[in-house]
Amino acid sequence: MTRDWWKHLILILGMIVVIAPFYLMVSYSFKSPGEIERGEGGFFGRQELMVDERCVSLRAPDRKDIAAASQRFPGQTENAIRTALIAEAKSACSMRPVVFNYTKAFSEAPLLRYLLNGIAVTVSIFLIQAVVALPAAYALAKLKFWGREAVFGLVLFCLLIPVHAIALPLYIILAKLGLTNTYAALVVPWTISVFGIFLMRQFFMTVPDDLIDAARMDGMGEFAIVWRVMLPTAIPALLAFAIFSIVAHWNDYFWPRIVVTGNRDLFTPPLGLREFKGDGDGSYFGPMMATATVIVTPLIVAFLLAQKRFIEGITLSGMK
Amino acid sequence: MTELSIVNVTKRFDETDVLKGVSLDIADGEFVSLVGPSGCGKSTLLRIIAGLEAQTSGDIRIAGQSVVDRRAADRNLSMVFQSYALYPHLSVADNIAVPLKMRRLSRLQRLPLAARLLPSGRAASRKIEYDVHQAAKMLEIEHLLNRKPGQLSGGQRQRVALGRALVREPAAFLLDEPLSNLDAKLRVQTRAEIAQLHRRLRATFVYVTHDQVEAMTMSDRIAVMMGGRILQCATPETIYEDPDHIDVAEFICAHKINILPVEIADDGQLHLLDRRLELSVVGAGRGVGSLGLRPEALRLAGENAPIRGHVVHRENLGAELFVQVEVAALKERVTLRANPEQRRALQLGSPVGLEFDPAKALLFDPHGKRLRQLRPTFAAKPEVA
Amino acid sequence: MPAPDVPSAGKASTPPPTPTNSAPVIRDYRAAWTLTGPALILMVLILLVPVAIAGLLSFTDYSLGSDSFNWIGSANYEKLFTRASYEKMFVATLTYVVTVVPLSVALGLGAAILIHSLGRFGALYKTIYFLPVMATLLAMSIAWEFMLHPTIGMLNRTLELGCGTLLERVWPFLANGCADRFPVWLGDKRYAIWVICFIGVWQGFGFNMVLYLAGLTSVHRELYHAAEMDGARSAWDRFRLVTWPALGPTTVFVVTITCIRAFQVFDTVEAFWPQGGGPNKSTYVMMFAIFEKGVQQNLIGIGSAITMLFLTFVMFLTLIQRWLVERKVHY
Repeated sequence: MTRDWWKHLILILGMIVVIAPFYLMVSYSFKSPGEIERGEGGFFGRQELMVDERCVSLRAPDRKDIAAASQRFPGQTENAIRTALIAEAKSACSMRPVVFNYTKAFSEAPLLRYLLNGIAVTVSIFLIQAVVALPAAYALAKLKFWGREAVFGLVLFCLLIPVHAIALPLYIILAKLGLTNTYAALVVPWTISVFGIFLMRQFFMTVPDDLIDAARMDGMGEFAIVWRVMLPTAIPALLAFAIFSIVAHWNDYFWPRIVVTGNRDLFTPPLGLREFKGDGDGSYFGPMMATATVIVTPLIVAFLLAQKRFIEGITLSGMK
Repeated sequence: MTELSIVNVTKRFDETDVLKGVSLDIADGEFVSLVGPSGCGKSTLLRIIAGLEAQTSGDIRIAGQSVVDRRAADRNLSMVFQSYALYPHLSVADNIAVPLKMRRLSRLQRLPLAARLLPSGRAASRKIEYDVHQAAKMLEIEHLLNRKPGQLSGGQRQRVALGRALVREPAAFLLDEPLSNLDAKLRVQTRAEIAQLHRRLRATFVYVTHDQVEAMTMSDRIAVMMGGRILQCATPETIYEDPDHIDVAEFICAHKINILPVEIADDGQLHLLDRRLELSVVGAGRGVGSLGLRPEALRLAGENAPIRGHVVHRENLGAELFVQVEVAALKERVTLRANPEQRRALQLGSPVGLEFDPAKALLFDPHGKRLRQLRPTFAAKPEVA
Repeated sequence: MPAPDVPSAGKASTPPPTPTNSAPVIRDYRAAWTLTGPALILMVLILLVPVAIAGLLSFTDYSLGSDSFNWIGSANYEKLFTRASYEKMFVATLTYVVTVVPLSVALGLGAAILIHSLGRFGALYKTIYFLPVMATLLAMSIAWEFMLHPTIGMLNRTLELGCGTLLERVWPFLANGCADRFPVWLGDKRYAIWVICFIGVWQGFGFNMVLYLAGLTSVHRELYHAAEMDGARSAWDRFRLVTWPALGPTTVFVVTITCIRAFQVFDTVEAFWPQGGGPNKSTYVMMFAIFEKGVQQNLIGIGSAITMLFLTFVMFLTLIQRWLVERKVHY
């Protein structure tokens, strides 16, 4: 420990840089606009009651409101009633900054919808990838058939093509098919994971042939073997691949940005955040950072809970 | 000049005492084996001698000088590792050259190309190349010098590891189970070669193994270790014929030694299975003990034999015949080494009587310590009624 | 003598499989194509066809919504190599790749070695350093935008603390900042690309660190002991003799994947400068160019040409990696 102090010093300095934007993000999501502006309030902010100006202006009393309220304030002038109403509105619209920021994040834009979209898209991508890749990987690993080498060669070649790189022609195809601004557009290009096929094939190669032969002796067909014999043995590898796939697509911004334009109902979380940034003014820093925190948190929490699995999954691509 | 002394070395890992005070003097040019079951601390002791691990207390002396505050690289010892630990990216020649380069070349000369550009480096490099060839010649691996370790068989890798150890002249060679990754046939062959190498180099060898055959066949002396202590250190003959401790007798054996419970009477007279033996012990009180009889110490005898039972299993090895005899009062079977010619008398199920050669009987007290003062007691009259 | 020869001779002259044992092969054959079929079709439709389409369109002036197009030969490619804005694209992309790859690989290796040598707290550092890899880059870009805000940003505020101290004397940059004002990080063409690079390193080095840590744990411990016995006294000697060669395959992989990721930088650029690729186009990277030209401006031809160029770079890199891996396998 004492001999290693310099190592700790370097690593702690690095840690500060790494953690700084996270600190800022979470901290801003707690603070009032004034505190953000002036850079005060430490990490949590002072959490003094603040007034939401937009809420107050929405409640600005017009003649009808004043007339309606005149019974509550008998014998007062119109101006006095207006002042009283405004004061009421102000107190009704005042809240702690942290509450303000997070309620704004969910009310100003349909963040919940974005999150559900994100879940739907990432989960369906993974499921389709698995359904397509597992049988192919099994056939490539364990069946002998004419053309196997060619198919595997094709897999190896396709590993060279990052889907992001061919986003433009994919976009054109989808546009020609009239599929832009649909869920399908978000999912379709990712349905084939060549990497998934490659990975699962490498894994299946290590499964002993005897296991498959035993299944055949028990009367299973090839499809039954894939789902009832190979899939259960592949659970750890598949889990790692799931993490790999879900992290990549939850965080993906480029592809949704291309195929979803304008239709908020289809927004994934990063798109929603982008939209927020586009139309937010200075006072919305807090809610925006609250949105960012909400989007980043699920994966970070899952990561902290199952660190080993996540690191395994993310670094899967390092497997030979 | 390069004798090696281990003085009262102890080692603690967390809460466990791995070495509980080990002392051993190894003479110059001696081949000493540290042998014992796994977990007895023999590898730890070797690594402490090497300097790869620090002892908790005690001293290591090489040629009379304490080396405890010297790191491994400065102790001038060579080591052959169990996994051979060859650098996978270097050719065989480069692997063997590493210890020379590290010692003879300056850091500047070790830079790539520098050895060729600097005149001083060139001379040193030529000398290294020569030495590597000499070592390779001695081990008959000259034709492998340009290969990578990955292209070699287990036996060849083993030779390269030996080559790397003997290319320089270390104060002593430390070998950590170097044969355990070889197949049985190669192991026998390499065993002989290492022994020859030792005779040729006249260097000090410390050899760790769990295989007592290796220890018996190669060593000048064997140190039997158990539970973090050296139980006995002596020549192979002594260890086999005259063990100090029941554990030593049980560990060092070609065939499992028979351990029979005996009772010791007040006068030292021994009784086996309630029968009086023609043997007594001097200087031990009344009590119980264990009689160790190696299979070759037993022989067939008639009805009056002290041990009687019937044959339950036989193993004919061609040159010798091992017979397991079940004795009614004993939990374990008694094993006898017989002459194959006697096999007719030793059919499965046939009753046999066994007697033993008193000179080869080993008596141990209940703690396992050897009781050496055995006396024949001829005067006894037969008890048979 | 002839006896042992019989089976092998018989084997050699065995005719092609008899009908009885070819039956399972045929079953295998049908099942195999059914099993690989969906993957095969999708691979062709989603990966190969688009590459072909991009290749073809890169020689046209096609745009979405128009019914016809003209073959214009290599005009798109000529534009790429002659126009100043595309020169800026190449400069920005290469600057990014050439900066981010060595830095994030070196930092990943350094962090891995330091962490590996520590018994305690190693896991903590590892977790923290890996966080950026997991986090949504777009969200973190926005956080960085606040960090780098010229007036209320944490970075400039921290720098201001240094004003009036001894640091100002030894660090001209700080002195200038205090005297005048601190940089507008994202609005200044001198800094913009470096900020993007910095965030790229920040996000990516944890990934490399984890790969290197995995590589380090697989280095046989006895090799270090052998190196010590062989007289490798300094940490540097042991690194050169054992660690670095053992990490060779990891390094090849880490460098390639970092390269490919670096080529694909987009999120940060789009987040900071939705229009136009940064001050004076200094951060006009290739992915952003594809997005802007092909999708936003509907100049499909030129977008496809950039796509083809991009694919060439990436494939070239991966092929180099595969070649290196095959050549350097020594286990």
